[in-house]
Amino acid sequence: MFALKVAQRYLLSNPSQTLLLIAGVALGVTVFVFITALIAGLAVRLTEQVTGNSAHISLEPPTRVARVLVGPDLPVESVALVSTFQRQQIRDWPRVIALLRANPEVSAISPRISGSAFLVKSEAVQSVAIIGVEPQGIDAISRITPTIIDGDGELGADGLLIGVRLAEDLGLSAGQPILLRTERGVERQLTIRGVFRSGLQSLDERVAFLSLQAARPLFVLPEGVTNIEVKLKDPDDARVTARFLAEATGLRATPWQEKNLSLEDALVAQGRTGSMIQVFSLISIIIGVASALVLSAYRRRAEVGIMRAFGVPGAFILWVFLLQGLLIGLIGAVVGCATGYGLCLWLEGITSVDGVPILPIAPEQGGYVAALVLTTLGATIASILPARSAARVDPLEAIQQ
Amino acid sequence: MTRVLEAQGIEKVFLNGDEETRVLKGIDLTLDEGELAALSGASGSGKSTLLSIIGLLLRPTAGSLTISGERVDNLSERKRAQFRNRRLGFVFQFHHLLPDFTAMENVAFPAAAPAGGISRDMRDRARNLLERVGLEDRIDFPATRLSGGQKQRVAIARALMNRPDLIIADEPTGNLDRESADRVLDLMREVNREDGATFLICTHDEGVAARCSRRLTLRDGELVLNVSGAVDDPPGWRPQADV
Repeated sequence: MFALKVAQRYLLSNPSQTLLLIAGVALGVTVFVFITALIAGLAVRLTEQVTGNSAHISLEPPTRVARVLVGPDLPVESVALVSTFQRQQIRDWPRVIALLRANPEVSAISPRISGSAFLVKSEAVQSVAIIGVEPQGIDAISRITPTIIDGDGELGADGLLIGVRLAEDLGLSAGQPILLRTERGVERQLTIRGVFRSGLQSLDERVAFLSLQAARPLFVLPEGVTNIEVKLKDPDDARVTARFLAEATGLRATPWQEKNLSLEDALVAQGRTGSMIQVFSLISIIIGVASALVLSAYRRRAEVGIMRAFGVPGAFILWVFLLQGLLIGLIGAVVGCATGYGLCLWLEGITSVDGVPILPIAPEQGGYVAALVLTTLGATIASILPARSAARVDPLEAIQQ
Repeated sequence: MTRVLEAQGIEKVFLNGDEETRVLKGIDLTLDEGELAALSGASGSGKSTLLSIIGLLLRPTAGSLTISGERVDNLSERKRAQFRNRRLGFVFQFHHLLPDFTAMENVAFPAAAPAGGISRDMRDRARNLLERVGLEDRIDFPATRLSGGQKQRVAIARALMNRPDLIIADEPTGNLDRESADRVLDLMREVNREDGATFLICTHDEGVAARCSRRLTLRDGELVLNVSGAVDDPPGWRPQADV
């Protein structure tokens, strides 16, 4: 393509100016990549912090609501009453578990009996959240057994695992007996089998784990479970998968985002801030390329005029300037992506004393394809104005100048 | 003889606000194939305007223009550009070579740009033309490294690239020293004589005009002299008016 050759020659005719222009574009792209990788890294770190020790989707029985009854022998406004006494549960939970296991998005499942209870030791009474789990699946959602600091962590038939803060409050340690009184008024003597330090205040302060079998009589649930907690391979899929699971099981499926609306708002705001910076980077690239090419088109008016005089089509001249913009954008984007990636890798390598990177940057998520496409496109768009003005040069006027 | 140019009643009026300036006042002019015509006149006589109209760079206000049998004054902009490219050649006072290209690329440019590249045939023709204008040792030289006279010879080769019916030259020697000017004029005369190429040369230089086979003189927008005679006439020869 001859227009490409001419565009190349024009760019190479003033190498220092072209290099400066490409460096400017590359700098803008480097900022774009850095911000994208940083925003993505921040989102990943925050999401991991929130979802690392909690479920991505919670499955619970559907909320029961009063409904209007319609029938020929019923008064006009009859409603079905909802019992608040009857315990809500998932009776056919093995079927739900089987369905979850068949789902490729699901990475861990934990059927649970959850409820409130009091731990009573002498005069001390402490309210706790009780979680009955399958002993082999205690770490499915939160890392509990690896964080045991006292005891062996074996739940057994009467074992209880409690958080370190709760143990401190009640003066408990592994091997000690403790009385548990549930919200249903059932009491049972249990043994502390382990004290864990998960690092999560909510878990360490007021949660106690026991086996599913031990929880059944305490909460008067001989068959069902109260909830099923699910972890996914990708937490970002929680909303979609929750919708699918709700439809498939008829249960209420709550994704983690809905339980952490403030985090989601923060992530959205952070994403928007990043987008703004990206847009401004792109605008600065467009303005830089456009102004350089406007200048170039003006400087080459006589040349363009002579081309027009000997009948070179306006479209050819249009292409010469568009291709200059495209080349600057493409080369600048490639250089900027490489520089941005290098910068991200370097920053990722700078860690604090405990080995955690100072900046939560995700070099592989620098938006490289978007940077390449948007910058090349932006630089090409930036060249439209100078290209059009060059293509419209009046040959007579240009030659007479 | 084939008629290359036929201009009838060419008028050009420029408007400056409410003020009208009649630059050309009904020019009738014909050129036959192989003629070497000089167009002269004082500044403001309208010769550049007439040349621009014949070169399809400017539209006449009135009159008709036919080049190589084709009516061209009413063509669209796109067709005018195509016509200029295929049928007309231009040589300007300032060579206007493309500084980022070699002599050969400059010569080939009018053919290469519409075609999308320089073909082997174009390259061969460009080389032949450069040899013809005596620049066989400058074929691959960047245009910026050529002297003024060499650049103008490249511009002549470029004007010949697409084998035009008419070559329009606007003060082709006006920016050259005497020696270079003579060489450029000799070259145009040689191309005219050997190839039968038709030239319309706008010039201030009486010496250039005297060596052309046709002399045209404009005054105040009117053609006041249109004479033809043999080139290199013996001393004592005086042109005869034919209008």
